[in-house]
Amino acid sequence: MTDVHAHSAKAGPGAETADLDREATRPFGTGPVEPAETGRGGASGPPPTAAGWGRWAWRQLTSMRTALILLFLLALGSVPGSILPQEGSDPASVTQYFTSHPSLAPWLNRLGLFNVFAAPWFAAIYILLFASLVGCVVPRTFKLVGSARTPPPRAPRNLARLPHSVSYPSALSPDAAVDAAASVLGGQRFRLRRPAAGDSGHWLAAEKGYLREVGNLLFHLSLLGVLLSIALGGLFGYKTDELITEGQTFSDTPAQLAEVHLGRLVSGSDLAPFSLTLDKFTADYIDSGASIGQPAGFTANVSYSAAPGDPTKTDVIQVNHPLSVDSTKVYLIGHGYAPEFKVTGANGQVAYSAATPFIPANTNTMLSDGVVKAPDASLGFEGVFVPTAYMANGTTLESIFPAANNPEVSLIGYSGNLGLNSGETQSVYQLDTSQMKEIAGGPHLMTPGSTWKLPGNLGSITYVGTKQWVSLEVTYDPGQIPALVCGILALAGLLLSFFVRRRRVFVRAVPGADGIGSVVTVGGLTRTDASGGFEDEFASLAADIADVSSPSAPLSSAPSSSDAGPAAPADNQKPEPNNQPETGA
Amino acid sequence: MVFKAKRRTVVTTAAAIFVLLVVGIVVSVVTSGSGAANANADMITYPAGHRPDAPDFTATSLTGTPINFASYRGKIVVLNVWGSWCGPCRGEATTLKYLDEQYGPQGIAFLGDDIQDTPTNALNFLSGHGITYPSVNDASGAVEERLAIAVPISGTPTTLVIDKTGHIAGMIDGPVTYPEFNTLLQDAKVTQ
Repeated sequence: MTDVHAHSAKAGPGAETADLDREATRPFGTGPVEPAETGRGGASGPPPTAAGWGRWAWRQLTSMRTALILLFLLALGSVPGSILPQEGSDPASVTQYFTSHPSLAPWLNRLGLFNVFAAPWFAAIYILLFASLVGCVVPRTFKLVGSARTPPPRAPRNLARLPHSVSYPSALSPDAAVDAAASVLGGQRFRLRRPAAGDSGHWLAAEKGYLREVGNLLFHLSLLGVLLSIALGGLFGYKTDELITEGQTFSDTPAQLAEVHLGRLVSGSDLAPFSLTLDKFTADYIDSGASIGQPAGFTANVSYSAAPGDPTKTDVIQVNHPLSVDSTKVYLIGHGYAPEFKVTGANGQVAYSAATPFIPANTNTMLSDGVVKAPDASLGFEGVFVPTAYMANGTTLESIFPAANNPEVSLIGYSGNLGLNSGETQSVYQLDTSQMKEIAGGPHLMTPGSTWKLPGNLGSITYVGTKQWVSLEVTYDPGQIPALVCGILALAGLLLSFFVRRRRVFVRAVPGADGIGSVVTVGGLTRTDASGGFEDEFASLAADIADVSSPSAPLSSAPSSSDAGPAAPADNQKPEPNNQPETGA
Repeated sequence: MVFKAKRRTVVTTAAAIFVLLVVGIVVSVVTSGSGAANANADMITYPAGHRPDAPDFTATSLTGTPINFASYRGKIVVLNVWGSWCGPCRGEATTLKYLDEQYGPQGIAFLGDDIQDTPTNALNFLSGHGITYPSVNDASGAVEERLAIAVPISGTPTTLVIDKTGHIAGMIDGPVTYPEFNTLLQDAKVTQ
């Protein structure tokens, strides 16, 4: 990502003039002996040695073209992360995708498209882009340091050939006139260069606008900072998910969390040691008009303790209004209903009593599916929960509103071995009925408070009432703030490099024709002037220089073309501004 | 000529990026791994002198009896973190019952820590498997959280063996097996 602009030097009438012209118009920010870069990254093949191959590979990697292609690939690689469900943010949808696309999903999974941002190929692009940026920024830093220490080039012999030039007579001697110009340009914070001992002539070279390079460097370093910040988050950050029902408490430990995604240098003991209770959850829905049933707001009232033994505090979590505990944030990412059941076994003992989370199958109506497992009574139930029940056609149970206005549960019962005692891990949302027998009488419709006495003296199940659950995401990303700061700095750097111009002003003075006073020529050159203004700045500077070196001779504004050939200041005592648009930048 | 040179440049650049991507993928795959400290091990042992302190806690058992963990000092304690909803916990229940019957009379104390559960479900589990040693009613997970600060507990079931001085001699991540338990027990007998 080198940013080098080569000026095409115009041939002067003599060899010395040509040299001076070339030096004056040498690329901004480069030293006099530095070869011009092409920025192509070395398209030619490598020499047939290991070192040659290494140098060639490094040149390829650090070329602007490769960096741009990698940046494009990074953007392209992120697309599947937006289109396909991701394990990190929505594992349930990934499972659903596998169910609905049984042949395609395994292939997508092999390509890592369900966890794009952790996929090896995505990491490869990321690492290569990082290396490419490092390879660009490090040499660029040295270049800037070198540039900052490089004096402006010597003044060209013929300033009239520069895009902007003006000449005028001065009453001062050539030395004094150049001194006066130096005081003006020095006052404007130009970096100055005067003839060294042994150099002939009276001249001054001045350069300004090094902030452009600083901005350029700031931009590159900040990009590097953004990547480092993301890496910081990936190494030391973590993200966990947990589902809790009203009245339930969880502590932020891996054993109590549904999903745990730890950074590479994070262990389970590093999680923030807070505990949190869901006191109450409220979901508001629009109950009239065209948007009936649409969510109007979600509020989770929680109490939490930042560490074991710490005092308990209360707070409210809403969508986009997370709870901050130390450096972690707790987001509200989902909700649903948890009907409360009491299952009594054949022996008459209560074998199961808990609020059981049901997962919404339809987020518009909140019709939800779930299972109840009472392994110690050898009973299991598959259920459908409808928050506002409506019996369509007298036979089909549907939900017509997402709020629990008329909750009902439809259950199918099973008796037998649930398979839990085998020691295998089972999903709490699925019932393995392979070793169970369906109980007659299902699906059985239940309202809150009702009990279904199971046939065959198997026991009973009571639908006690309805609670709600929320899904919380706990995130810790130490790279978030640095990434924001680096992003702002990158923008600032970009603006600096856009709006600050590198510009050079040269002054030459020769003795007047009659040996009195001098003729002063001022020339100006800038690399790019996209935002405009150098012409005005040059005119103002030239006027200031004319004022201090020859107060009695006001600057004329009559234009003249530089194509008329080399100016002849000794023969021309009148002010002669030469302004033309720059074409070589 | 110009066209050929340009095409060669494009092919060269594409080849270079492909090679670098392959190198990057290989590096990424080779260096990838889980962040969990005990990802590839189901047993962790801590040598005497380098054992984490087991946290002291007071709690209530599933039957409502107060439990003060400090009162267990002077005994080797087998502390099992479990839940009635957890399949692997049900799978290891018979082994734990057998170990309790074998080593309980030798002065080794067994204690459960029942997390994210209801007493009704948990007591049904215990009675169904004939387990008689007490379990902490840790529905909020507060006790487990203190333990997880001391050692990396990644899930249920997890079994800690605590020596007589109140230091954690080791832990089994997953269902208890007889050989692993014996190894930990022998280790725990050696104190600092």
